Amino acid sequence: MDSKLFPEGATRCSFGQYLLWLGFISAMLLWGVYASFLIFYNGIGVTAMDNYFGFALWITFDLAVIALGAGAFFSGFLKYILKIKQLEKIINLTVIVGFICYSGAMLILTMDIGQPGRAWFGYWHPNVHSMLTEVIFCITCYCTVLIIEFVPLILEQKQLNRNKFIHALAHNMHVHMALFAGIGTFLSTFHQGSLGGMYGVLIGRPYAYRDGFFIWPWTFFLFVLSAVASGPVFTVLICTIMEKVTGKKLVEYKVKALMGKIAGSMLCLYLFFKYLDTWAWATDVLPRMGFTFDQMFYGLIYGKWLFWSELIVCGLVPAIMLIVPAFRNRPWMLYTAALLNCTGIVINRYVFTVQTLALPVMPFDKWYTYAPNWSEYATSLMIVAYGLLVLTLSYRYLPVFPQERELNS
Amino acid sequence: MGLNRRAFIQFSVGGTLGLLVTPVIWKTLDDVSIWTQNWGWIPTLKKGVEERVPAVSKLCPSGCALRVETVGGEPYSTTGDEDNPLSKGGLCPICADAVPLLYSPTRVQGPMVRTGEGQYQPVSWDEAKKLLAEKLGAAGSSVAVISGDDTGSGNEVFSALLAELGSDDYYMMPSPQMAATRAWNGLMGGEGQIGYDIAGSDFVLFAGADALSSWGPTVSNMNAFAESHPAGEKAKSTYVYAGPARNHTSSVCDSWVPVHPEGMSAFLLGLAYNLITEGRYLESGDFAALRSLLASKYSPAQVEKLTGVSKKSLAELAGKLLRASAPVVVADYGCSPAVAAAGIIVNLLLGRMNTWGGMVALPEVEPVLGSALDRPTRFAKDLPADVASGAFAPKVCLIYDANPVYGLPQYGEKIAEKAEFTVAFSTFKDETAAVADLVLPAAHPFERYDDLVNPFGVANTTYVASSPVVKPSLDVMGAPQFALDLAAEMGLDLGFENFEEVLEAKAEAAEAAVGTVGSYSVGLGLPALSDADKTSGQLALYAYSQLHIGSASMATTPHNPTTIRDTELQGKQMFVRINSETAKANGLKAGSKVRLSANGVECQALVHVDEGVMPGVVAAPLGFGHTAWDEFSMGKGGNVYKLLTVSAGSGGSAWTGSAVTIAKM
Amino acid sequence: MQVKEFKIKWGMVIDIDKCSGCGACMVSCQVENNIAPMTQEDPHNHLQMMTTKRDDPSNKLRTLTWLNVYELNNGKAFPEHDVAYLPRPCMQCGHPACVPVCPVVATDKNEEGGIVSQIYPRCIGCRYCMAACPYHARYFNWWDPLWPDGMDKTLSPNASVRPRGVVEKCNFCHTRYMKAKDRAREEGIDPMELPEGYYVPACVEACPTGAIVFGDLNNPEHKVAQLAKSPHSFRLLEKLGLDPQVYYMSKREWVREQGDNHAAGDHNSAVKQASQGHE
Repeated sequence: MDSKLFPEGATRCSFGQYLLWLGFISAMLLWGVYASFLIFYNGIGVTAMDNYFGFALWITFDLAVIALGAGAFFSGFLKYILKIKQLEKIINLTVIVGFICYSGAMLILTMDIGQPGRAWFGYWHPNVHSMLTEVIFCITCYCTVLIIEFVPLILEQKQLNRNKFIHALAHNMHVHMALFAGIGTFLSTFHQGSLGGMYGVLIGRPYAYRDGFFIWPWTFFLFVLSAVASGPVFTVLICTIMEKVTGKKLVEYKVKALMGKIAGSMLCLYLFFKYLDTWAWATDVLPRMGFTFDQMFYGLIYGKWLFWSELIVCGLVPAIMLIVPAFRNRPWMLYTAALLNCTGIVINRYVFTVQTLALPVMPFDKWYTYAPNWSEYATSLMIVAYGLLVLTLSYRYLPVFPQERELNS
Repeated sequence: MGLNRRAFIQFSVGGTLGLLVTPVIWKTLDDVSIWTQNWGWIPTLKKGVEERVPAVSKLCPSGCALRVETVGGEPYSTTGDEDNPLSKGGLCPICADAVPLLYSPTRVQGPMVRTGEGQYQPVSWDEAKKLLAEKLGAAGSSVAVISGDDTGSGNEVFSALLAELGSDDYYMMPSPQMAATRAWNGLMGGEGQIGYDIAGSDFVLFAGADALSSWGPTVSNMNAFAESHPAGEKAKSTYVYAGPARNHTSSVCDSWVPVHPEGMSAFLLGLAYNLITEGRYLESGDFAALRSLLASKYSPAQVEKLTGVSKKSLAELAGKLLRASAPVVVADYGCSPAVAAAGIIVNLLLGRMNTWGGMVALPEVEPVLGSALDRPTRFAKDLPADVASGAFAPKVCLIYDANPVYGLPQYGEKIAEKAEFTVAFSTFKDETAAVADLVLPAAHPFERYDDLVNPFGVANTTYVASSPVVKPSLDVMGAPQFALDLAAEMGLDLGFENFEEVLEAKAEAAEAAVGTVGSYSVGLGLPALSDADKTSGQLALYAYSQLHIGSASMATTPHNPTTIRDTELQGKQMFVRINSETAKANGLKAGSKVRLSANGVECQALVHVDEGVMPGVVAAPLGFGHTAWDEFSMGKGGNVYKLLTVSAGSGGSAWTGSAVTIAKM
Repeated sequence: MQVKEFKIKWGMVIDIDKCSGCGACMVSCQVENNIAPMTQEDPHNHLQMMTTKRDDPSNKLRTLTWLNVYELNNGKAFPEHDVAYLPRPCMQCGHPACVPVCPVVATDKNEEGGIVSQIYPRCIGCRYCMAACPYHARYFNWWDPLWPDGMDKTLSPNASVRPRGVVEKCNFCHTRYMKAKDRAREEGIDPMELPEGYYVPACVEACPTGAIVFGDLNNPEHKVAQLAKSPHSFRLLEKLGLDPQVYYMSKREWVREQGDNHAAGDHNSAVKQASQGHE
């Protein structure tokens, strides 16, 4: 029915199947839309957040998707600036994933702030000392960049591209893409860093605060590195899932392994600094604040298992799996490593957001726990559904995978 | 149509700039920033001349002298009254929230007549007056008054009305004043109103009296404490709290002596034993009998068993009292005349009667309405005992400034059943108003004339009167004024037509009552003390009152729920506090859901394990478990007043021995 | 970051040994600053009534308690068990954790007196300042303010009503400061040299035990200036270096111990000094 819109030479599932899938996505989406309507109408009192957990699932979700979406800027940087040609086979997907992650995060943020109507105050009344100001600047700017990067791909849609103006526009945008990739790299590096800096400067929060170690706040660099260490393999995972779902080969394994190698190297670099950082934090920062390492953990949900999972099981283990070619070249090991890698980064963003706030700083205070409620899950799932929708539409109608035709012939 | 690089750039830049020069974006943003701070549903503030008007708030048991802050004549807040000795700038948590209560939706809007189960019909004041006059006319002398006004001249008006109707059934709600009056003016035959010069004392022992939180003239006690403990300097006096659990009073006292709930009079008599051993003596025909009573029943070893206070600590405490230059003992527990009497005996043994920093007997302020009962007589009638025995069965019962259905231990709910026609003068839709046959809305303290005559516990004759700060917003009036009008309607002459004039006369009477009652010669009320050595041997209930939760007549006020801890109330469940030892012995742990029961009544609660409670004691907060009022109190926790077991001693009803069982649910 | 110095530094010294935990200060604070009582249903918002309940006041993480009284205990078993109450207003830190993080300059410390401001119409409600403040002195308006019908007639003229979605906190009843300065000018007093007691926040005024002493920490004639130097005085979490303008004092060593974290072994000098002198 809609086959005329398919990319050149590609086959897609039947329209009925497609509608069924869209129906499933829409259900998820509508549930989230209902939740976000209640949130906008009644106020964010609807959520399970409170005065202790002012940053919660949403911020964790945002930080996680922003880190995982880093595949876009980093692959763009490698392809357009460092000219690693191989990556052009997956670059479109990285852009789409990046776009989904950033625009999704921004949607969540408009819900998360108490006065969405004042969101633009970050520009109008900026506090240049605040890491969050930098985040607001860079995220909004970078989201624009991602849109600019995404637009030519849309314009290259078979039918649209017949229009001469659109064709020319798409062509021109492609020509300037290196410039945007450069701007994107700059913006993205900065806000990934500022997101880390946001926590590192929390002088009253021993779990997150970092000072006196090389450069302040050190978390700035750790967040950049951890994002580029996980973003590329997240794209690989998405790509692989799409292959499993569609039953087609979309990107050759060589490219995936290369992405794995890039991520693995960055993960090694990250972990080197992260271990140093953790050591300095436990032995220097914490004692100065009057705390011990053991005091940073509590019960099961804030337990040490999270710490070891993040640094060893989801850190060191995938790093080794990704940099050793013998492991990396076995698909199941690459995917497992990718999964662990991404999990580790999610844990990192979670503990920096929630555990930081849960830790009682006043000695007479106590640990409080936080569990999200349905409205936070529904809206987060809404973003997932939105991502699936964008991926679905892009895959069905846009020439995302340059290798698809050749690999499936 | 083609697009070259130049055209592309022109298109992009031109488009962006074009949009920016239109006002669309800027106007929208500007509007948004204005809207987001001016939503229609956000109330705006009133402007006008700001004043501070002195007034009295009788929402708390002892009454607060304060200043009402007004803007454009409309009250918005209260502060303490620095010029008033009762306040010295301080305020209790109930009266701090007095202004919002002026417009509480839980106020009774106008007179109402009951037409059926829970159904009421509004009537005019005139109709109400006629109806009540008719009922009273038919009732003859079968009329009773229950008053919860511990301090006001309104009592005299109601008492005079009652006398004119030929009845002397004037009942006061139980209070520390009742216990002390029954002990001093009743059992011991003393004269005048007992008071304590806490401010002048250098060693204060609060025996059971939660004096810095809910007992007596709380704010004035707190002032005395504050002045004796200047910040950054050495304390000028020592404060000791003796009682079954750590409470607000004990948290600031210099030390805490844990005393079992059933052993408060034994503890005081144990002190008396030590004092007599140290050679103290007192002028009384009963002294020899006291000595032998102490020797036979209250030796230190026996007292240790009854109270949990070791011989050594008892002797040490007695020694401290002896060494202090101006010690005073403030004793009150469970409205028990025996405890009050034992406390007075200790003060007498210490030679602290009518001395600076000791216990005083203030001269009575004479009644100004001729037929009104005097203060001690008002406290003589025993409501719990009369309800239990059936002696309380009036045709008409007037309930003035009291909420007995909620706050009268054990028998409160029976009041409305026993009386044929109940009239509640209530400011708020409380439990008593919910069952009364006629509900007459009493004005809020800031809308009426009222006074404080010697709030119980003060060391000097104190009289504070106040006139309305604001016109009533509802169809309400002061209860005493209505009583005067009613008397006029019935052709009874009370001597006054106007409550304002009563206050003026009272002020003059108070002026005449200065100094202390010069001579005293007392008995020691020994029969009441001889049976204070019984213990139930079971788990004992320690019920404590905290004003931020409420009182026997007031429920939690709108801004107080945030001051109640999450270890006191969680959602609708209240907590009771027990020691870890008690918890272990009963198979309980923190957070266990339990059922407390006593005298056939049950209460649900959660367990808060608190080492500040004596083993074998369940500390439970009074003031929860309302079935009326509003969402700030209704349905939250259980009513612990119901669990208090009333025991009839020779001095009158008390609830010192409250055996309770605790069972895991 | 630089610490801004002011000629006047409004501060408190709270004598914990005198706080009985009665709650009068918390109530006065709410009344003075137009903090609505916590009601669970908004009768004017049917959709909200149908879909969700507002917060129960026993959920202490959702209250608007600018001044919050904490209960401390010495952790000992009966009968050595002891309790203390610690009222916690905003500390008005000299080196606030909250101010530099605000992305929109909705909170600042730049006015004579050293009170950390909160500009409600500027606040976007990101709650970063709340994450930054270790004292939990900052509160978020999770719902639109709502008074029981009619009760909004008693609103105080001293604090504008905040809409939902903004952060708020104690500002030492700043309007009272403004009014005190105006009054001083009328009465010919130098507003930079307000006498002790000329300006006091509502909680200080209400406290029946006088546990909170308020004044200019820089003015040697004000009591707070001397009390802050007492060997029994300490500040909360002094190790973090936030330089609070609120001091506490207690003669009880265990209370002073709980003013900061000592898990890593050391004890702060104030605690040591005082315990050597008195215990």
